Amino acid sequence: MAASTGPSQPSFSRLRELTPDSDRIQELSDAGTDSEFEDIATVPQYELDNIAYFDRMRPIIVDDLKTETSEVQDETLNVILPFLEGNPNEFPLNEFGLPHLQRVKHARYLDDALGSYSEHYVALDAARPWVLYWSLQALTALGEGIGAFQTRVVNTFVPCQHPDGGYGGGHGQLPHLAPTYAAILSLAIAGGAAAYESINRRSLWHYLGRMKQPDGGFTMAPGGEEDIRGAYCAMVCLSLLNLPLELPADAPARSCGMTNFLDQLGDWISRCQNWEGGISATPGNEAHGAYAFCGLGCLSIMGPPKETLNRYLDVPRLIRWLSYRQCTPEGGYNGRTNKLVDGCYSHWVGSCWALVEAANGTGIWNRTALARYILSAAQAKTGGLIDKPGKRADAYHTCYNLAGLSAVQYNHVFDEDMKGSVGVGELAAPYHWWVAGLYEEGKIWVEEDMVDEIHPVFIMPYDAVSACRKYFEDKEGF
Amino acid sequence: MPRFYHDDPAWSDVTPIPQLESGQVLAGISYTAEYSEAMSYLRAVMAANEYSTRVLDLTEHIISLNPAHYTVWLYRAQTLSALNRNLREEIKWLNPTALKHLKNYQIWHHRQTIIDRLGSCDGEQEFVEQMLEKDAKNYHVWSYRQWVVRRFGLFGDEGERKWCEGMMERDVRNNSVWNHRFFVVFGGLKGEVEEGLLKRELEYAQDAVRKAPQNECPWNYIRGVLRQAKKPMSTVKEFAKEFADLEKPDEVRSTHALDLLADIYEEEKKNDEAKTALDLLANKYDPIRAKYWEYRARSLDSAAVEA
Repeated sequence: MAASTGPSQPSFSRLRELTPDSDRIQELSDAGTDSEFEDIATVPQYELDNIAYFDRMRPIIVDDLKTETSEVQDETLNVILPFLEGNPNEFPLNEFGLPHLQRVKHARYLDDALGSYSEHYVALDAARPWVLYWSLQALTALGEGIGAFQTRVVNTFVPCQHPDGGYGGGHGQLPHLAPTYAAILSLAIAGGAAAYESINRRSLWHYLGRMKQPDGGFTMAPGGEEDIRGAYCAMVCLSLLNLPLELPADAPARSCGMTNFLDQLGDWISRCQNWEGGISATPGNEAHGAYAFCGLGCLSIMGPPKETLNRYLDVPRLIRWLSYRQCTPEGGYNGRTNKLVDGCYSHWVGSCWALVEAANGTGIWNRTALARYILSAAQAKTGGLIDKPGKRADAYHTCYNLAGLSAVQYNHVFDEDMKGSVGVGELAAPYHWWVAGLYEEGKIWVEEDMVDEIHPVFIMPYDAVSACRKYFEDKEGF
Repeated sequence: MPRFYHDDPAWSDVTPIPQLESGQVLAGISYTAEYSEAMSYLRAVMAANEYSTRVLDLTEHIISLNPAHYTVWLYRAQTLSALNRNLREEIKWLNPTALKHLKNYQIWHHRQTIIDRLGSCDGEQEFVEQMLEKDAKNYHVWSYRQWVVRRFGLFGDEGERKWCEGMMERDVRNNSVWNHRFFVVFGGLKGEVEEGLLKRELEYAQDAVRKAPQNECPWNYIRGVLRQAKKPMSTVKEFAKEFADLEKPDEVRSTHALDLLADIYEEEKKNDEAKTALDLLANKYDPIRAKYWEYRARSLDSAAVEA
């Protein structure tokens, strides 16, 4: 029969690895003799502390049955654990025995990511707007000024804007909601009238109208796939650019009786919450961390999270599913049940919590364990952040690990009564957030390891969010 | 051999549209001359709304250079439709391309467009199987399979369910298979879940739990099935207790059984027992989620106060 219990299972502890002879393992676990300390005397104290911590976090119950899933998981943990317990990258450590955030190296990596690419990177041709967004956002998270890039951001997006509205990946490419979202966010992060005015809001509004579907959701492109990314990206554009919620006269969904971008949208999101409690790309698919964030982000734009999340989702079931995404003992998140930990879910799952906690009470998630994973296992030796040890850095994982770290370090509050200079009119809920302070409980980072505050709905700097919305609230017409 | 168009008589009537220069940019790519020229011809034919055989050749060429190019795929689909092309031929061409680029969104959407127009899913299940041989949890492949089930009315289909069981034999921890089973069994259901169906699905999941009690999937499945059937969680109380008995707190064989028991005790208004289960999870069996288990315990208190 399958499960075996007992605190000495399984045997991937570093403590045991440090004593290669199996007889010694026996001797060690029998415990008590002085000689065990001789063997580990060369191991620094911080590493012993980490080893002790991960021994506590290791699942006690491990099934005997081996399948592809459990084998890949075991192999992966063997690769990751040395980074969590020791310091193979030889990074300088903070007072908690964890690697410092390698700010300088990461900033340099991101500067490079914004530079030129050789012909071998042709696969990026349809995804350049993403490279800009990830890199710019990550730089601001590190507290780096991006003023020097402002003009070049605008220059890059001018040819991407399609004459019929929306943005493609480059000149002559069809408009698509993914590059549109990345373009709008990048331009908003860059900020300034030149960036804002480069956006043709009227044609974008018409384009979004063409994406609205009779079932309430949004397609990504004309003739393209309909999924929950579309719903989130469309809401981000409508809100940040303060566009009318009324569907344009030429929107095909009008022929099905729809008049408003929000028509049946909440119900459509509802249908994406599946039997697992998580949220899927479209109704019927498997629950997935990235789609969960899109769904929650979309609802948090539609109204105050307390109202919209509780109206359209079974929040306790969602919380349960989100909690289970935290891998033990790794501390980072996976995106689906029985999948591997991956640094990008530091954001996709980690950033769900601010939205969920605004709807349902705070103090639900283990922030410290996530920070451990990001600092110890998700920083590449030469700069940039990664999925897991052994993988290469890229702008995507750099952006989303840092966003996850920010989610860990700050407490965000949704304040219905907030009165500010911004946040009047439609889709104004996301302008009611503020940072109530730092998260201190059990923290394992120091000042030097802090990233900047990130707006929990838009995943860009707070001030860039309000400056952009304010600009378009003050502007008459399109 | 790179392929060029400027000296090809078949293309002499087309004036290519080169990529717009817009001053200094970020993340620019130094394209090969071949890619750069092919894209310039694509921009030109798209601007002229040209749908022709040579456009199909051009899109095939660009796809071979950059399969992640959604524009080319979408325009190819439009061209196929405008030319009323033999879509079976298209699928034959598509298969090796798909097998080469597993994580590509565009290929799957393209396939969906084509199969939708063909109106027949002959061979699709076999093809999906081939893809899953390479990557048994690929999200796009599974989503596509779910689209096939919906489009071609395979809800409740016994063959589809048996196929899931085969996949499950391979790896009972593959959550994508569990999701597909749930989708096939319950996705098309209108009205109540019959007793027989409920029993069959619960037994299937319970057998899976016995193979590996710490596997999260079948426990979630049990919760999902009960919810679908509008049955209380206490329906499986005795089963859960096989794997976690509060009387024997050192012999727990599944954290998921403890979690389920906590919910069952809450359902039965036995808050002390629920708290014992949550406490075991927080302090012994699943400490990484301690905050979550403590939140659940707090929720019990507030529910009691409200009552």
